[in-house]
Amino acid sequence: MVTLDLASLTVREVNEQLRQFGAEGEDVHISNPDARHHIGVGLTDAITVHVDGSAGYFCAGLSDQAHFKIAHNVGWGVGDNMYSGSVVVGGNSGAIPGVAIRGAEIVIRGNMGSRAGQVMKAGTLCCAGNANFMAGYMMYGGRIIIVGDSGERVGEDMSAGEIFVGGQVQDLGSDAMIVDTESGEDEEIRAFLDRYEISFSGTFTKVINAGKKLRYGSSEEQMRSLPFTVFSGQSEYWNTKVQEDIHIKSNSGRYRIRGYGGARPLPHLSDLTFRRDLSSAGKVADVVNRVSMETQIGGINGAEPLKLSMPVMIAPMSYGALSRSTKQAVAMASAMSGIAENTGEGGMSDAQRDAAGQLIFQCLGGRLGWNIHDMRRADGLEIYISQGAKPGLGGQLMAKKVTPELAEIRGIPSGIDLRSPSRHPDILGADDLVIKVEELREATGYRVPVSIKLGAGRIRDDIKIAAKDGFDFVELDGMQGSTGAGSSEVIDHVGIPTLPAIIEALEALEEIGARDNIELVLMGGLRDGVDAVKALCLGADAAAFGTSVIIAGGCIACMQCHVGQCVTGIATQDPEHERRYKPASEASNIHRFLESVRWQIAAITHGLGYTDVRELNRDDLVALTPEAAAITGLPYEPRDGDQLPLVQSI
Amino acid sequence: MYKGTEGIFDTGEALIRMLDGCQHRGPDSTGFALYGEANPGELKLRFFLGSASDSETAIDTIRQRLLVLKAVILDESEIGDNYRVTVRYAGDVQKLAYEMEHTAKVISIGTSLEIVKDVGSAHEVDDRYAVHNYRGTHGLGHVRLATESDVKPEASHPFWATGFADVAIVHNGQITNYWKMRRRLEQRGFEFTTDNDSELIAVYLADKLAQGSDLNTALEASIDDLDGTFSFLVSTEDQIGYAKDRLAAKPMILYQDDDLVAVASEEVSLNRLFPGRSLNTHEPAPGTYATWSRLT
Repeated sequence: MVTLDLASLTVREVNEQLRQFGAEGEDVHISNPDARHHIGVGLTDAITVHVDGSAGYFCAGLSDQAHFKIAHNVGWGVGDNMYSGSVVVGGNSGAIPGVAIRGAEIVIRGNMGSRAGQVMKAGTLCCAGNANFMAGYMMYGGRIIIVGDSGERVGEDMSAGEIFVGGQVQDLGSDAMIVDTESGEDEEIRAFLDRYEISFSGTFTKVINAGKKLRYGSSEEQMRSLPFTVFSGQSEYWNTKVQEDIHIKSNSGRYRIRGYGGARPLPHLSDLTFRRDLSSAGKVADVVNRVSMETQIGGINGAEPLKLSMPVMIAPMSYGALSRSTKQAVAMASAMSGIAENTGEGGMSDAQRDAAGQLIFQCLGGRLGWNIHDMRRADGLEIYISQGAKPGLGGQLMAKKVTPELAEIRGIPSGIDLRSPSRHPDILGADDLVIKVEELREATGYRVPVSIKLGAGRIRDDIKIAAKDGFDFVELDGMQGSTGAGSSEVIDHVGIPTLPAIIEALEALEEIGARDNIELVLMGGLRDGVDAVKALCLGADAAAFGTSVIIAGGCIACMQCHVGQCVTGIATQDPEHERRYKPASEASNIHRFLESVRWQIAAITHGLGYTDVRELNRDDLVALTPEAAAITGLPYEPRDGDQLPLVQSI
Repeated sequence: MYKGTEGIFDTGEALIRMLDGCQHRGPDSTGFALYGEANPGELKLRFFLGSASDSETAIDTIRQRLLVLKAVILDESEIGDNYRVTVRYAGDVQKLAYEMEHTAKVISIGTSLEIVKDVGSAHEVDDRYAVHNYRGTHGLGHVRLATESDVKPEASHPFWATGFADVAIVHNGQITNYWKMRRRLEQRGFEFTTDNDSELIAVYLADKLAQGSDLNTALEASIDDLDGTFSFLVSTEDQIGYAKDRLAAKPMILYQDDDLVAVASEEVSLNRLFPGRSLNTHEPAPGTYATWSRLT
């Protein structure tokens, strides 16, 4: 047993030593904690840590196997995302104790704060005192035992799991109900309480999900598939798209959910072109080797940067929206082209990890598939705040795609229409966000970059917050970005297009002199290397591709991504359908597309008279429309026809 | 707030320590609302001055306006970027406040209240304004992360309830019915000097108090009237109080013993007052409020 004194050591130093003592199997006392944050974050050894006082936010967060005994109070998020092990808190807990736990036993001897056990998936959270507002909010599984009173709205929007209340059930949350305890449950709880020496002689009331909100009340009839080209029809007022939309709504009686990107014409990168005549740019042999394109992203604050062979990355897309085979193919292609892949929501599979050379691991509000072990094997961590296709809203994954296997990774019940939370339990403002970033860095020893994914909405403020909260880079996603499932109205009508998004973001960073404090990756409907070069000229450090990569890998743009019966085996979890997808050959197709992007970037950069992509700048561009000129401040120079034969040159 | 009816304490030093403990929440600016001794018939005024080159002009303008308003200057000084003046004044405080607002950037007006706020950390602001020298009975503090182009000291907290002596507020959150509430108050003649929702809460509460509500009643009403997420602290000449929205989206932790009550966003701030000690704290429930008074 050793003692680490927080009066003389920093939390970072203590956590580093904890990992060392953990590896040696040595138990540790921590003295003078004085409610500091992040104590024991990321510990994955079966030692016991005694905190001789109170701990702050995220004590024992992102840990596995370890046991924590905290003499007094804890702040927000004790045991955040814990897999196994235990935490015993001698005093009170702040908000969201046991948030997102996937196992473990968390015992609070005093009272606990709001939203206890939010988005927890498994394990037991026990409070010997009273709970507060919304205990069990959006829980997906596991057990909460409240020996005292429940607090208001207990079990609000829980999907599964059980809440046992020894005291008064003050108020049931939405879609929660009281049922009789089943045989054996009471004995199990009492054995648990005995183990932690909590005495209770009364009876427990059991609260579970009432099952009224797990699925949409009506299902969407699948109509004849419309190809995207028809879907985006612009000439007729009551066109086929409008008719299909009305038919679907007349059947379901609710807003419509669909996949893919917006179909509304919006100002975009295609409204810009290059000042110089590039008609002969594609004719130089070996142009790829004449332009320096290697790009490092994420190293500005000392983390190990992503090393990209060109300023291109794969946009985050989830295993869930996409099949495992598709994620594997995209990962393989990213490795072949020497760029980075991104898990999106829903966790990391071994196949994806093995195939990807560099992989960013995304953390979303539902913490679906988020865990310390995959964090450790990631090359970057990313906090998702929102996405361009549906800024401010959570993801949707319809029941057909929530198979038992997928549900297992995410830690949720299978067969529900999953509506991922739109908010993080522990990020309710810029001030909370900075503490969360620190937790991720502590858990991974400050080794990998931490980025933020921002859907374009309140860009001016959000990007400044991102820069001030210490992120290494931002992935900025415009309104033209696609999604696996979203409300059709939101996809077409909510958000800020990609072009004004990057302009506003760069202006905002200039305003506070913070352009050098954060790197910027632009995405949101970028189609090819031409778009990538335009993004770089405008000031992005790299560009990311999602939809175009999926199309390269076999997508036929039928827009039925949300249904779950994708005929190409891409947007499905059905083994029958997935069998049609051949990861190795699709990976080659995607790789060839990415190489065409590389060639286009090189050819244009060279054609503009440069030998390095970092020389690209705003003066290389002009606007083709008055709107694009107004948005970007670039000169308005309308031109006849497309002067770029580059797309055809491949 | 230090309890009891007598004695003065190192409130400045206590607030510096507490704010240093949670500076990670707001690295850009730091502010203090400090309550010291009040002398009958006297008011303390603090103003932001412009750049150093025209500070003399700014001070002259303030002096002339005070003269017109029959406020007699008893004491004056320049500290950091502030002009601090004590006056003898028998007229209507709201009139004085609005007149002065039209002349200069008022930070605070009070019989015992003085607000000190500027760009930088708690220790940097202390270095500029010697906050550690302040002794008194109670006070508020705030750290802020700014998103405006250059970090403006006048956008930092605490906010004074423009027009009402001695009322100050610190707030974490966002009031979503800000413009509706503000228009209602403006229609009744109140003036706002910023677009900050914290100023709105301050004026809203001060108005209730001026109409004869006690602080408890005003805070209770605020939970119904204000939409959005909020955890705020309010202070008057002899009271402090908090209110918290019904969704509990913003943190708040409270400690009290026989000698003092301390409220902060995080326990780590409270622990700065008691290094090495485990504190018996509690998190106020959603939708609740409470007040403490020097006079009890």
